[in-house]
Amino acid sequence: MATIRALCRAEQEAKVEPRSLADLNLPHAFKEVADLSSNSVVTEIEKCILAAAKSILAGHGFGFNVPSRSSANQIYVPEIDRIVLKDKSSVREFANSSSVRKTAITTRVLQLIHQLCIKQIHVTKRDLFYTDVKLFQDQGQSDAVLDDVSCMLGCTRSSLNVVASEKGVVVGRLIFTEDGDRIDCTKMGVGGKAIPPNIDKVGDMESDALFILLVEKDAAFMRLAEDRFYNRFPCVIVTAKGQPDVATRLFLRKMKMDLKLPVFGLVDSDPYGLKILSVYMSGSKNMSYDSYNLTTPDIKWLGVRPSDLNKYKIPEQCRLPMTDQDIKTGKDMLEEDFIKKDPKWYAELELMVKTKEKAEIQALSSFGFQYLSEVYLPMKLQEKDWI
Amino acid sequence: MEGESKTKAKPGKVGSSREASLKQKSPAEFFSENKNIAGFDNPGKSLYTTVRELVENALDSAESISELPVVEVTIEEISRSKFNNLIGLIERDRIDTALYDDYETEKAREKRLAKEAKEQEKQAKIAASGKKIKEVAKKAAKSRGESAFLKVTCKDNGKGMAHDDIPNMLGRVLSGTKYGLKQTRGKFGLGAKMALIWAKMSTGLPIDVTAATVGQDFCSHCILDIDINKNIPHVHLHEKQENSSKWHGAEIQVTIEGNWTTYRSKIISYMRQMAVITPYAEFLFKYVTESQDKNMTIRFRRRTDVMPPAPAETKYHPSAVDLLLIKRLIAETSKQTLVQFLQHDFTSISKSHAERLIGEMGSEFSPKMAVKSLTDQHIVRIHQLFRQAKFDEPSGECLSPAGEYNLRLGIIKELHPDMVATHEGSPQVFEGHPFIVEAGVSIGGRDVKPGLNIFRFANRIPLLFEQGGDVVTRTAMKRINWNNYKIKENQDKVGVFVSIVSTKIPFKGTGKEYIGDDIEEIASAVKSAIQQCCGQLKAKIIRQQAAWDKQERKRTLAKYIPGVSRALYDTLLTMIENDQSKRRKYGEEFDELVQKVSSHEITEATIKQKLTQHVDQMDMEMALEYATQSGMVEAAREAVFLNCLDDKQTFVVDLKSPVCVFRLFSGFGV
Repeated sequence: MATIRALCRAEQEAKVEPRSLADLNLPHAFKEVADLSSNSVVTEIEKCILAAAKSILAGHGFGFNVPSRSSANQIYVPEIDRIVLKDKSSVREFANSSSVRKTAITTRVLQLIHQLCIKQIHVTKRDLFYTDVKLFQDQGQSDAVLDDVSCMLGCTRSSLNVVASEKGVVVGRLIFTEDGDRIDCTKMGVGGKAIPPNIDKVGDMESDALFILLVEKDAAFMRLAEDRFYNRFPCVIVTAKGQPDVATRLFLRKMKMDLKLPVFGLVDSDPYGLKILSVYMSGSKNMSYDSYNLTTPDIKWLGVRPSDLNKYKIPEQCRLPMTDQDIKTGKDMLEEDFIKKDPKWYAELELMVKTKEKAEIQALSSFGFQYLSEVYLPMKLQEKDWI
Repeated sequence: MEGESKTKAKPGKVGSSREASLKQKSPAEFFSENKNIAGFDNPGKSLYTTVRELVENALDSAESISELPVVEVTIEEISRSKFNNLIGLIERDRIDTALYDDYETEKAREKRLAKEAKEQEKQAKIAASGKKIKEVAKKAAKSRGESAFLKVTCKDNGKGMAHDDIPNMLGRVLSGTKYGLKQTRGKFGLGAKMALIWAKMSTGLPIDVTAATVGQDFCSHCILDIDINKNIPHVHLHEKQENSSKWHGAEIQVTIEGNWTTYRSKIISYMRQMAVITPYAEFLFKYVTESQDKNMTIRFRRRTDVMPPAPAETKYHPSAVDLLLIKRLIAETSKQTLVQFLQHDFTSISKSHAERLIGEMGSEFSPKMAVKSLTDQHIVRIHQLFRQAKFDEPSGECLSPAGEYNLRLGIIKELHPDMVATHEGSPQVFEGHPFIVEAGVSIGGRDVKPGLNIFRFANRIPLLFEQGGDVVTRTAMKRINWNNYKIKENQDKVGVFVSIVSTKIPFKGTGKEYIGDDIEEIASAVKSAIQQCCGQLKAKIIRQQAAWDKQERKRTLAKYIPGVSRALYDTLLTMIENDQSKRRKYGEEFDELVQKVSSHEITEATIKQKLTQHVDQMDMEMALEYATQSGMVEAAREAVFLNCLDDKQTFVVDLKSPVCVFRLFSGFGV
């Protein structure tokens, strides 16, 4: 416990270094978005619409200047440890058969968001899709355009008043207010509190926890919640049930920034688990325009690490051979800057690719269902076994 | 097989007895017992094989005298009573009905009646519940598998047969003319003879032949059958008839047991595919029966008069011979010395090369030694050396592929596709035998199912059976990435035509119906030929797509105009209403616009109209640009051949121009 306390203290005393892009003087220009108030979003949309209308009336048709979100336009910046979007953009012309559809959808989405922002209400992505199913055809298309619109207007997706449905769950020594209601996460039973999709309404975070435990899977989360692991080791436990959504990432970042706690990651020992950690830390390619608000720096990889398989003598029958796809993903990840920057992480992934074995968190259950909460995690924490 | 041949055996046939005594089997006997090898597995297949053997013989015969083939095939169904009449058997009524297979016992009848009653009840229930009544397929009085007696007639305009040769040419198995090394249509050299054996086995009726050679003023008419045990012809009638019309060719008529119902589609697709690969031939196919509605006549018209040259006879390549073959060649050779034998009876061995080879064989060999004096050991040594030494590859000159032009015309003529591409590969070699792969790929067309339709040809005859294991099928299905060529393999009507010609086609399976997928040389040649075709098509498809896009663009764009105009206008309205109090500043450039919208000077209709105008203008610009880019070439040019309406016309002069060739008729003072 003392070791964790020391880490926690160190974390709180450490100064938050400036991590803004502008300070870095990089050779590229970047596209970053910021939280905007509903009013400014309305103004931005109106500017777009006015420009379009003016252009049409002048007989030039119209188009939107949309920043490109393709992988070619993205770059990982090691100094700030996240993926950011470069400033390349293209004009989405109406009078072009390949882009007419997207332009039409963009116009409609702009109109819908304009209404939302004026009325100051929130809807889910699904709601948005259902307002014009005939045009959008499937939700993937309206979702993609929604991200385009964020980039175009230079605001975060939450500023558009469109949220995703709840996915993430939190439990443990955390108290916060949501839209004025005080929520105590120690009194949330074993299911935990759903992470609110609208981060704006979350505030006043308080906690006596020493760390945040990030869990990949629902099953492991349940085990820890039921065993009240947060009472033995004062902590906050968070899961996004697989790939993290925007709300969970925003929430984690807010916790880390407000409470200044160290974050430990507990993921499967496979390339996919590592990928999830990378999304929390450096952001996803899809949302790279908003990586500033979505990433949480400095997550410690607690487990399950490839080296744990032998260290904890996890029996053969619980280890799975990696598929060709897994191995390929693993090898590709070895090339990524996010892994390369830390030699310890690199060594672990290299070991995984070499042994061609993977294991899930549940593999620990072979020693008993409570092995995870009663032996593995306490031992790990005591031995400072994180990287 | 044994059992089947026993039951069908006619009196006097002893071949199938299993006596322990040593007995010599005639080739005819062997084939009669192993009918399946030659494609006579069952009545249906037998009819199919009979037709194809006759047709292929007819084509060979006409091509051998460079005559454009005209082949008429007639299948006539003969009822049992008519058949009995034919053989002079009196029709008898059944006295003891229980003796027959289709006799219904008392028990069976009860069962059937009960079943029928149940069925009726069910029907009534369904009808009561208001559901659509499915018509229960009535059991045909005759089951599908029922075979009948069929008279197959095939008439051609080939070289005919010399009067005295007819009995031996048809009545002796394995006595054909096709035994040199040459690209041939026939698979076994059995041809009509096997059909004759089958006729003898199933109906007992003899074969009826009429033939005349070119310039002969009489026709030979011969009725014969085959003595299976002795493998000699048994002539019933052999006479000369008048031939006033100077006809030449052969007409062969056999009466066999066959099954038209089950093999109808196979026979028709055989004829159709034959027409594809032989577009210079005219086929007339008739099916005649007593009931009028089942009669059918299909004519496959000639589409070109360019005929591929007849395949040349060639010599064996040293790497393709075995011990027995060397012995046979030695027995048959006219050359005296070893060096002459090597030089002249094999391809790819020059005189100096032959001398070097002899030097390598050892001290017992000398160039001047008499070739007939070679001992068995010598031959083994020669064989070994042939296996080990390196030789030039045989040339493909002896082969006669259909030709890209003909294949293309054939495909166009029979399938009427939207697009077609053909490719002829260069000659390649497998185990000492040269081969050429030609391929055609078509898109769209008449009677073509969506997906891949594969047509296989070997030595210019269609292969219809055992498609699954064939090298062509496998290549097309598994090794071609159709998406690369903008072809949607599951939706488009794709025709894949691959023709392989060789002096020896490496067939697999007893029926010789497919080419194995394990020969890398052939597999890669097939793949590259198909890919070449696809490459040609890709350009066409892209061009077509562009033309289509051009047409569609305006429509696609127009579709979105109303929605976009409404969205824009509504947003403007909301913005102005919402703005009354706050008066946001958007910059002077927009002031006028805002004014006009609030005074309803600009409405949704204005926006819509302006946008439509812009789309129209863009469309015109794009169309102009497209036209200047692509020039006049809307589609790739296609070679066209206009058929001569009157066969008897002869041509005197060809007037050639870059665009076309005119052929002038004789007799107009030219």
